[in-house]
Amino acid sequence: MAEQKTLIQMEDVTVRYSNGTEALKQVNLEVAKGDFVFVVGSSGSGKSTFIKTLLGEVPVFSGNVHVAGRSLNQMKRKQRPYYRRNLGVVFQEFRLLEDRNVFENVALAQRVIGVSRDRMKKNVTIMLDMVGLSKKSKALPKELSGGEQQRVAIARAMVNRPGILLADEPTGNLDPNNSWEIMMLLEEMNRLGTTVIVVTHNNEIVDRMKKRVVVLNQGSLISDQEKGGYTQ
Amino acid sequence: MKTFTYGIKQGIKNIGQNRLFSLAAIGTIVTCLFLLGLFYALISNFQNMVYNAESTVGITVFFDEGISQEQIEVIGEEIRACKTVDEVIYISPEEAWESFQKEMYDGDETIEDTFSGENPLEDSASYEVYLSDVSNQESIIHTIEKMDGVRKVNGSSTVANGLSSFNTLVTYVSVSIIFLLLLVSVFLISSAVATGIRVRRDEISIMQYIGATDAFIRLPFLVEGVLIGLIGAVIPLILLWFLYEKLVGFILTHFSVLTQWLTFVDSVEEFRVLVPLSFGVGVGIGLLGSASSVRKHLHKA
Repeated sequence: MAEQKTLIQMEDVTVRYSNGTEALKQVNLEVAKGDFVFVVGSSGSGKSTFIKTLLGEVPVFSGNVHVAGRSLNQMKRKQRPYYRRNLGVVFQEFRLLEDRNVFENVALAQRVIGVSRDRMKKNVTIMLDMVGLSKKSKALPKELSGGEQQRVAIARAMVNRPGILLADEPTGNLDPNNSWEIMMLLEEMNRLGTTVIVVTHNNEIVDRMKKRVVVLNQGSLISDQEKGGYTQ
Repeated sequence: MKTFTYGIKQGIKNIGQNRLFSLAAIGTIVTCLFLLGLFYALISNFQNMVYNAESTVGITVFFDEGISQEQIEVIGEEIRACKTVDEVIYISPEEAWESFQKEMYDGDETIEDTFSGENPLEDSASYEVYLSDVSNQESIIHTIEKMDGVRKVNGSSTVANGLSSFNTLVTYVSVSIIFLLLLVSVFLISSAVATGIRVRRDEISIMQYIGATDAFIRLPFLVEGVLIGLIGAVIPLILLWFLYEKLVGFILTHFSVLTQWLTFVDSVEEFRVLVPLSFGVGVGIGLLGSASSVRKHLHKA
């Protein structure tokens, strides 16, 4: 794989928690720019640690992690916010600010990086339009369905146009229809050039979408297949 | 600048949105600062009263017989040059006799006639010396006794020492109480702020995930802490002002017999210290409380 095309590179990565548990064991993985990757595995397989490692939330015990040309091993705490601006993150439980409306939730990501008011308004409007929520910009999260809340979370994750979108069980709280719609939205983001990594338990979606599938088992990467399925 | 404006707006908004927490935090600061102000007023007034009592405890200096007026003046200068000497008053033989008569015979002319106009206290001119710190009385007496032309020095060391030790005791007790109050208020406010922040832990972690810097996350909480501190300082100051005015007025009206001892500090003078003290402590603990709690949560993610 050519160097400039590799966006994420993990070399013999081991993540060990303070209680001695090795959540990731010598993981080797390369993700190219524009890839769509599913990370699957049973509970305790290291999926969440995988996402946390990419977010710079847990320290690497050994090995090297490079994301968008930046080494996470040497990254200082102060540099972490600036690094995270290259990533969009979506969680299972949406994590929206309950006291702010849809527009404000999405705008927060722009505010954090100091975008001007006019530009922010324009970008947020475009993003809400893209996720199909332009008519609900004034609604509070509690007034939305689960699927709509996840759309807001995706809009917030994508409004700064990050190179990578990390989704941790994005359909975990949604019914099959909404789950499929969310996955289509993520695929649309991928088509627009964003590298998407989805951690999921949802075998139907993984099998149906025929994307690259990485399987983790007890912290080890045991399978990496192009156009794979949940059940190998 | 945009971040700063956002931080201020969000901080103000937070107070309204977390009404219950804000009220609890403001209530804590109000209680602590009210007690602090009350103690400060008590201490400063007590010290003022002790100071006034101290100033009435004087030393009397008598001179050798036949001493000239010039020599007396030289002794007066030497006494004034001593440290902690506040005031030196010359009592002439005539004034001494007049005061003696008034005290002993209360204007009984027949007794006065017995001395046929002569002053039996002709050689009893003296200096009354008042000190700014009565604990030095003994050493000042020793110094004056060694001066040429001084016959005798009278002091009231028991009263002086008593007042001085009492004043020291009151100062120690008061400083300890104020220190304890400050500790309690910092503890209460940090746990109140911590509760408020625990509620918003999710908000902090979301901000971190979308790339907000620590300063961006911290600013609204600090603004909130400062505002809570300011509001928490204004309320007890207003309460204390009215209470002080009313209470002093009440005591002076209803206990007029005690006015000789009850010398209160003027309210303007009192609040010249209390206003900056309350604002400083209020804003300080508001800021410290929120800064320490936000710091704890910032380092978790």
